[in-house]
Amino acid sequence: MRTLLIGLLLLATLMGWWLHSHQQPAEAERFSVGGALGGIPAEGFKRAIEPRSFRFPQDHGAHPGFRNEWWYFTGNLRTEQGRHFGFQLVFFRTALAPGEPQGASPWRTHQVWMAHFALTDTEAEQFHAFERFNREAIGLAGVKAEPFALWLDDWSVREQDDGWLLSVAEGDLSLTLKLTPQRPPLLQGSGGLSQKSAGPGNASYYYSIPRLRAEGEVSLHGQRYQVSGLSWLDREWGTSALSEEQTGWDWFSLQLDDGSDLMFYRLRHKDGSIDPYSAGSWSQPDGSLIKLAADDVQLDVLEQWASPKGGRYPLHWRLQIPGHGLDLRISPVIDNQELDLIIRYWEGAIEASGTRNDKPVRGQGYLELTGYGE
Amino acid sequence: MKPILWLASLRHLKRHPLQMALSILGIALGVAVVVAVDLANESARRAFDLSMQSITGSATHQIIGGPGGLDESLYADLRRQGVAPVSAPLVSGYLAQGDQTLQLLGVDPFAEQQFRNLISYLPDKSQESALPQLLTQPGALLMTAARAASLGLQVGQAFELTISGQQRQALLAGLYQPPQQQAAAMQDLLLADISTAQELLGRIGRLSRIDLILPADGSSVQSAIEAALPAGARLVPVGSRSSAMQEMTRAFGINLTAMSLLALVVGLFLIYNTLSFSVLQRRELLGNLRVLGATRRDIFTLVLGEGVLIGGIGTLLGLLLGVLLAQELLALVTRTINDLYFVLTVSELSLDPIGMAKGALLGLGGTAVAVLAPASEAAMSPPRAVLNRSRVEGSARRLLLPLGMTGVVCILLALLLLLPGHSLILGFFALFVLILGFSLFTPAVVAMSCRWAAPLFGRLFGTLGRMAIRGVEASLSRTGVAIAALSIAVSATVGMGVMVDSFRSSVQQWLHTTLQADIYIVPLAPSGTSSETVLDPALITAIEQLPGISEVSQGRPVKLQSATAITRLLAIRMTQKSYAGIELLEGDPETVWPRFDREQVVLISEPYAYRHNLRLGDQIQLETDRGRRTFQVAGVYRDYSSDQGMISMRLSLYRQLWDDESIYSIGLYLQPGVDTATIAGEVAALAAGKQALRIRSTRALLEASLETFDHTFAITRVLRLLVIGVAFIGILSALMALQLERARELAVLRATGLTPGQLWGLVTAQTGFMGLISGLLALPLGLLLATLLIHVINRRAFGWSMDLIVPGGVLLDALLLAVAAALLAGLYPAWRMAQTPPARALREE
Amino acid sequence: MGYEVSLQGVSAKLPPMTKESQKIQMNSHKTQPFIQLQNLSRSHLQGGYPQPVLAGLNGEIQHGESVALLGRSGCGKSTLLNLIGGIDQPDGGRIIIDGVAITELDEHARTLFRRRHIGFVYQLFNLVPTLTVEENLLLPLELNGWPLNRGRERARELLQAVNLLDKVASFPDQLSGGEQQRVAVARALVHQPDLVLADEPTGSLDAESGEQVLALLEQLVAVEQRTLLMVTHSQAVAERADRILTLADGQLDSR
Repeated sequence: MRTLLIGLLLLATLMGWWLHSHQQPAEAERFSVGGALGGIPAEGFKRAIEPRSFRFPQDHGAHPGFRNEWWYFTGNLRTEQGRHFGFQLVFFRTALAPGEPQGASPWRTHQVWMAHFALTDTEAEQFHAFERFNREAIGLAGVKAEPFALWLDDWSVREQDDGWLLSVAEGDLSLTLKLTPQRPPLLQGSGGLSQKSAGPGNASYYYSIPRLRAEGEVSLHGQRYQVSGLSWLDREWGTSALSEEQTGWDWFSLQLDDGSDLMFYRLRHKDGSIDPYSAGSWSQPDGSLIKLAADDVQLDVLEQWASPKGGRYPLHWRLQIPGHGLDLRISPVIDNQELDLIIRYWEGAIEASGTRNDKPVRGQGYLELTGYGE
Repeated sequence: MKPILWLASLRHLKRHPLQMALSILGIALGVAVVVAVDLANESARRAFDLSMQSITGSATHQIIGGPGGLDESLYADLRRQGVAPVSAPLVSGYLAQGDQTLQLLGVDPFAEQQFRNLISYLPDKSQESALPQLLTQPGALLMTAARAASLGLQVGQAFELTISGQQRQALLAGLYQPPQQQAAAMQDLLLADISTAQELLGRIGRLSRIDLILPADGSSVQSAIEAALPAGARLVPVGSRSSAMQEMTRAFGINLTAMSLLALVVGLFLIYNTLSFSVLQRRELLGNLRVLGATRRDIFTLVLGEGVLIGGIGTLLGLLLGVLLAQELLALVTRTINDLYFVLTVSELSLDPIGMAKGALLGLGGTAVAVLAPASEAAMSPPRAVLNRSRVEGSARRLLLPLGMTGVVCILLALLLLLPGHSLILGFFALFVLILGFSLFTPAVVAMSCRWAAPLFGRLFGTLGRMAIRGVEASLSRTGVAIAALSIAVSATVGMGVMVDSFRSSVQQWLHTTLQADIYIVPLAPSGTSSETVLDPALITAIEQLPGISEVSQGRPVKLQSATAITRLLAIRMTQKSYAGIELLEGDPETVWPRFDREQVVLISEPYAYRHNLRLGDQIQLETDRGRRTFQVAGVYRDYSSDQGMISMRLSLYRQLWDDESIYSIGLYLQPGVDTATIAGEVAALAAGKQALRIRSTRALLEASLETFDHTFAITRVLRLLVIGVAFIGILSALMALQLERARELAVLRATGLTPGQLWGLVTAQTGFMGLISGLLALPLGLLLATLLIHVINRRAFGWSMDLIVPGGVLLDALLLAVAAALLAGLYPAWRMAQTPPARALREE
Repeated sequence: MGYEVSLQGVSAKLPPMTKESQKIQMNSHKTQPFIQLQNLSRSHLQGGYPQPVLAGLNGEIQHGESVALLGRSGCGKSTLLNLIGGIDQPDGGRIIIDGVAITELDEHARTLFRRRHIGFVYQLFNLVPTLTVEENLLLPLELNGWPLNRGRERARELLQAVNLLDKVASFPDQLSGGEQQRVAVARALVHQPDLVLADEPTGSLDAESGEQVLALLEQLVAVEQRTLLMVTHSQAVAERADRILTLADGQLDSR
């Protein structure tokens, strides 16, 4: 999911980051979405107004006519012995202005990049999160469709054989994964057009690859672990702004052991009510797709977790899709998977167990919670 | 504490206000000069430190390259390889706005955060839009509010900047507000995105350097980075560059300090003289106090206390004066640093407490030392109600020989000290010992001259004339010191005058030889930025094609950075006539030039050879963009353009080894009969609207160079004037005291029938005679000082050799100065004596 | 004519002594002569040759005596006075004052002895020109370590005695010769010295002023019970002393 909301947040965070200062804490205050919107107007950018036809691998590459775009990898990994790791690697692209820049310097660009990398070490109950920024110039950051390459500094995802090689390192922590898609790209919304709020163009193009086989190595504090598991890719691009009253969202991705993959996002309003544009999808192993509207899914918070940095995150849930006989209890692998980066949000590995049509079902996935940290 | 005793002494001082005032003024001026020079030096150093600091931020290391900087792809490679995660690229350069030189710093905001955090100085959120603008808008930059105000700019306003003489469009995207302690250092800093800086400075694709933060134990990181560096790029710790730059100005600083000390020494002579005199004047009173039971220690303390009091007031005044003077000197010091070394803006005087304390300590300590002699002399006064002067003078005369001998020993010691080594400080020490020796020697010379002059003056002016000379001899303990002080001051002016004149004429001669072309062309750029200034290549081509030009020489001066030093290199494309413009001090022109044109050799300038102890045939290694290369020294040439020394290399060799095609200057050699002004006009027409140029004929360039020379040495001239000022006050007070002391004697003469006119004649003859002796003594000492300054001090400080040229005018001026000062000093006492009825003077004692 | 001398109880107010002056405390042997001059000799350089002025001179002066020293100009009267006052040193011989051989003290000790025990009056007043009348009197007291308030009291008493109380704040050059010499007399006695040395105290004064000064000196010495040695060339002045010593050919001749 992650709509344009996150794009705007990205923009906001970029702005906030510029002003971020260790010496002057007074100015390190994070920016409000509304404040940052003043910076870059949507005028001149393309809007996601009508369904388009997707072509791959071209659409894995950039869509620079749109203001925001991201590549979102999450996944659950295990060693042979069953030691569990969760990972998240996301690349955000934002255009500071529409069109091509004026000026002769190769550094001159409108495209700026941010990447977040997080690793959950479930056994040690440790969570590590990092961020990087750079611009799309002189090869510092960028994306190419053919052969596929996506990188920021030495964090990268590159085409290799029949899949992609994800490689990321920070300090004495690194992750190298071979990702092999197990499903074709799944178009979210209506044919890939995902409406986020009222008004034409307040939408994004959104597709996912809900299952990628992941195999590789986690290196942590000098220790190497051979791991394998499943990863999820979310791709989204667009331009438009959110409505004023939308304050945050809860996004679920689940790979269930019956072979189905479930994605649902819930947009929240300031007054606590649920936005009718909340939506999702449930793809079945036979290739059929169940579209989920706001009313189709019932979500109940079972337990909250108080962040040591402030705010309470709902981490334990009951997710029901009454129309399709699904009843799941969802809980995080560890509580503290909060990223305290330029923006603060919770994104972490989760486990689900319950029943589908009264038969037991289990699953794993990722949960993203924003707007709770204030 | 004995208050009544002190009262007796203080009231004495109060009754001789002029004497005290002059003494205080002398000390004050001396201290002021020392403090001012120190503050100015220190402020320059501090400004340099701060600006370095604000520019390097928290970087620990830097990757630097050749004069053309680094290829920006190196940065991307390092980033993508993950070798240098905490790194920031930088493009910096100088540009002008009106007559102000500003530094443009191009940073990558995405890499900045851990380094300078300059962006965080944006004061408020209303300027958010400045940020995307910086990245996307060509020419967008930030400056401080004060700078914007001084340029009369509003946020959002477009304006023009001059870079290498070319106009560039800029846009004030926002204001930044550095923290208080960095505000001054960052006053002249313009901030921009790296892309903007590359575009404005014309340095597309290049970086000035890459800043790094390496972990303290990061030797493995360091070697990983070094392994990733291409030839010509080097990893150096951050401190090395700034210490190399500091080292450049060290000799300059020492020179100024030494000159300021000279002023203080003259000031101390003054206080010595005043107090000796005041002791002598009070010998009866002191004897009387001794009779009453004051011990020798009491008297010693008393006189010492007086000295310290005068010294203290003088010092305090000197500190205040020093701060005022420092403001003026700072501008001169900064200008010299800019002309000779590097671009530096010092916008404010930092009142360094250590500098002030040093000045105070020198003033008080020096006073105490100067007062020791008179204080012990006073303490030795026998407890007698009536003393005769001849006793004192008798003992003074007995001292003549030992003093003279000590003087000779000092002079010999000074000469001995000069023999070994390159030490500049030792050179100055020798200089001071020499001066001391001379001053000790002076009284003996005075005594001798008096013996010869008395009969002469007798024949010329009769009894009165003889009396005048005998008067000088009779009060030798006073006149000796006064004459010594005056001659030192005058000799200092002779020494400095001859040195500067010799220097100037050597430079002039060198310029005549060097400037062979008919027209010289460089871009219009702030002083000190020639290595960053580039002549438009298209313009060069166009100029070269002008009819009437036979040959064109090209020059590219650059600064090569290594971990330990900054080396000036001049890459030149010679013409047939250029060869004659280089005066080889070592090497035979017949063999040097063919080698220079073909082989991997360099020429080095004289200061470079001196500083690095190099000779013909030696080898030097330079870091090129192709890696380290060895060059043989094919010759040593005369050059006064840089005291750091310079290496010259043919342009084609330079371009083989460094990725730098820029040219800074060209020299046009015209065909016979072609008019210089016509060609200059055509060049100007070609350049119009493209690049602002300085187009100068040989003659104009020569004049401009000499003008630069003169303003570079303005600080020397000012200090010289200050020394003369202090000396003049010294001589004035010494002679005045001397004549006032003789008031009673003169009153007797008046009572005996001397007319005021005759009295005036007597005093004038006496002071005139003293002035003459001082002047005559100052000449040899002055020439000796000049020799020392030229052959020792200048060589050690700057590595320049030059011919000693003694302009007759300087010598005559010195004599006139001495005599005039002395005569002037005699005016007041003579006038006062003439005004006072003899009876009152008789009663006064 | 003459001045009333009223110094009741003054002698009872002994000055506090400094540590230094206590070290050279006099041993008052009343049986011994107050001053003993033993085989004194002293030469002056004249024209480059030493000319003997005192040649093996001997003599004695008793406690409380008032002695006049007569002699021709240049006979060595002042030299002898300076030697006794410890401001000059003999070439040979000894001077013992109240048991202390001052000729054998070092310069510092001699100075301390002098300032405690001896007062001087000179022909040319020799007041400190930069000090007021009162301050001139305070100076010897200060040197002897008197506290300022007691010193001031003592100075006032003596200034009253010489009838110059109205001139306390004047500087010496604002006084007549006679007044200056009266100040000098007061100063010579202010610190209660045992011995007062006077060198032609009336030499520069007119007859009337001279008489005043002399009378004062005699009265003060008498009241305070000091020993007085006065150099003079005037027979008339000399006659007023208890005893006259004549100096001739480097020897003393007592009458």
